[in-house]
Amino acid sequence: MGDERATATTRSRPGAFARAWAKAVSGTSYLPMTQAQLEALLQRLTERLALALRADPFDLRIGQQVGAELVQSHIASAEGLGRTIEVIQLRLVRDLDLVVDDVEDRMARLLATVATGYARALRDRTLDEQEAIRRAAMMARAQAERALRDSEARFRHQATHDPLTGLPNRTLFTERLTAAITAPGRGADRIGVCFLDLDRFKVVNDSLGHQVGDSLLVSVARRLRRVLGEHLVARLGGDEFVILVERAGCTEDVVKVAEAALAAVSEPALVDGHELTVSASIGIVERQVADTSPMELMRAADSTLHWAKAAGGARWSLFDADRNRRELARYALSAAIPAALDRGEFYLDYQPLTGLRDGRVVGMEALVRWRHPELGVLRPDSFIPLAEETGLIVRLGSWVLAEACREATTWADGPAGAPFVSVNLAVRQLHRPELVQEVQGVLRRTGLPAERLQLEITESTMMSTVAEPVRALRVLADLGVRVAIDDFGTGYCNLAYLRDLPVSELKVAGEFVAGLRAPADDPGSRTDERILASLVSLAHALGLTVTAEGVETADQADRLRAIGCDAGQGWHFGRPGPAAPHLDRCSPALTDTAS
Amino acid sequence: MQRPDWAPETIDIERPSVARMYDYYLGGSHNFAADRAAARAMVEAVPEAPLMAQANRAFLRRAVQFLADSGIRQFLDIGSGIPTVGNVHEIAQRIDPESRVVYVDVDPVAVAHSQEILAGNDRAAVVQEDLRRPEAILRHPDVLRLLDFSQPVAVMIVAVLHFIPDADRPEDCLRTLREALAPGSYLVMSQASDDGRAGTGERAEAERVYRRTDNQLFIRSRAELTALFAGFELVDPGVVWVPQWRPDAPEQAENAEQAVFMGGVGRLGG
Repeated sequence: MGDERATATTRSRPGAFARAWAKAVSGTSYLPMTQAQLEALLQRLTERLALALRADPFDLRIGQQVGAELVQSHIASAEGLGRTIEVIQLRLVRDLDLVVDDVEDRMARLLATVATGYARALRDRTLDEQEAIRRAAMMARAQAERALRDSEARFRHQATHDPLTGLPNRTLFTERLTAAITAPGRGADRIGVCFLDLDRFKVVNDSLGHQVGDSLLVSVARRLRRVLGEHLVARLGGDEFVILVERAGCTEDVVKVAEAALAAVSEPALVDGHELTVSASIGIVERQVADTSPMELMRAADSTLHWAKAAGGARWSLFDADRNRRELARYALSAAIPAALDRGEFYLDYQPLTGLRDGRVVGMEALVRWRHPELGVLRPDSFIPLAEETGLIVRLGSWVLAEACREATTWADGPAGAPFVSVNLAVRQLHRPELVQEVQGVLRRTGLPAERLQLEITESTMMSTVAEPVRALRVLADLGVRVAIDDFGTGYCNLAYLRDLPVSELKVAGEFVAGLRAPADDPGSRTDERILASLVSLAHALGLTVTAEGVETADQADRLRAIGCDAGQGWHFGRPGPAAPHLDRCSPALTDTAS
Repeated sequence: MQRPDWAPETIDIERPSVARMYDYYLGGSHNFAADRAAARAMVEAVPEAPLMAQANRAFLRRAVQFLADSGIRQFLDIGSGIPTVGNVHEIAQRIDPESRVVYVDVDPVAVAHSQEILAGNDRAAVVQEDLRRPEAILRHPDVLRLLDFSQPVAVMIVAVLHFIPDADRPEDCLRTLREALAPGSYLVMSQASDDGRAGTGERAEAERVYRRTDNQLFIRSRAELTALFAGFELVDPGVVWVPQWRPDAPEQAENAEQAVFMGGVGRLGG
């Protein structure tokens, strides 16, 4: 039996049987070992088999262990088992030169135990591997789903956040606001919204560049988030931010939030190497959840922000329902102007400009009126400012110009000629390149001589340094159109423009004339009188005529005449109304102011 | 707003996976019915398929042993598949427990299985990536965490290249990898080859079977495979049928062409 007899604890060199066994199982499955390692392994198992064959009583476990160990060593295939049984049956006893009683019986039992141990181990291994691969598939699926969720979450984050500042964007803000307002059982809660906008942010962008502007926005976002941690801060776009104050206790709570936000924004900050101090304006709306909708709340906060801006910025404004109603009404009114023009709801009243020396009506100022179907007759101050803001003034102004010229042609010539018609020109009209063409067209169509048209512009109109309006006025003046400066003395008061402008008349603002109502020895009255006298002599020195506005009493008229003022306009001479009655007074004989 | 540039793939075990088919050839049970059906069809077309898989696995084992004996302690195994028996980390870490191994595979199930096998082994990791995105592999945090590219690294691309068409420019992928390697690094590659077997019709049949998987088969000649080792010096015996590459015993190299795969090991000089 030689070295095959060695005990299990001693490693022995592979014998002929182990080598034959190794050869038999080679290639039956992948064996992660060298041929030498395989032979060494099988030599060890050979010794176990020899032991099992001889053991008395027969020990089932040895053969089973050998079978299991083959599988554990990856000699784990049907072919591996078949060849193993074959080689043991054929060669084990012979190669090892074993002498055993009942050898056939014991060999059969040994092969049975090896096959049993092998099959059992292979089955276990198969089940384990199947379980492992199924678990891996499940894990992979879970990972894929998690990755999908993460990518969805990332996508959702991108969709609901501002990439520059990382703040929630309008979408998320609207979602949160809507949820806060529409959540059941929240009707009694109060909710606040602060619309925040940086003051003069454009200046930063224009002077330091968009990159610095962007960095400033990031810095402002960070500061707002720091001080308003519990409240949702979102960036709506540009330099507009919004803060949601859910479950506000009262208005004062939201005002405190706004004040904290203003303080945070106004901290000086180093932005891209620039020490920048900016301010912000905030519009605050705070009300009971039940009384509002997200849209309405956003709109109200936006308008309120504009109030804060209009008041000079660096402050908060609180929403005021009355003010909002008035503004909405004004807005509705301005929106109705085009349709009202189409329906012919506008008409003109006239107020005479009366010569102070002879009481003759020298001109008449056209004043637009709106016969509103529901509100009655509206005076210009209720709709002209808005028409100017919205640009509708251009269409309305064109209508006024055309209508005034048309009516003026019907005014009968007096002995000294018919009075001119004076039409107010808004800034926007003056800046239109088509102005000259339009005036020329109206004069041509109506047949009104250019000398009988006076255009009134305000001093502030001339603040613009743009040359175009000046050129247009010069062309018109060359045609013979009169140009008057309205409200002279109250506005810009830079006399330089008188050098460039083809002005023919100054209309002195009613404020100075009002002073003349006081007794002549009143110091204030005397001052106004001196100012008026100076203006008159200045105008006359420049070859301009002077009309005093707001003349209400005969005494005022007398004093103006004494100063040398050329004409007067005001209730004393005639209230605004249809042209005809004023025209009747064109004759000096009919005026009681003539001296 | 931007769509994510990457969408996770779904896991479909009804579709055969080459990684699990390979496991089946090796006698493993880490496979599903669809994998076994495709693998059996492959064996119909190419009876040597299991032998091919075993021969490749044995080539991988001998190559890792050779590299470890040559002092390599860092391994990047791209296309590692289902880690069954005789994995790179088992061989390498048996020789030196400090050896570091990163496995890379595109198959999410193979990756999940590898994660389980490698749990607790802080010197080995698995990364889900594609050989065709070498930059992504090289900058993957786990790759950077475990492998020091200032030291030699062995890149293993065993039984993978035949899934990469020439149109995907494998030479570019290999150049990118090579450029990341320190002198003294190694490249181990094997792939299905038809030198001496052209015209048997088996190639077409094998390609047809693989078309049913996610992967198609692209067979290359010895010359084509040798060309892919550009920049590396082939160690003896060069690109050969895989059983002929440094066999444990001379008889194992007999009938080597039946293994269908050719392979070799290249060393980056300098």
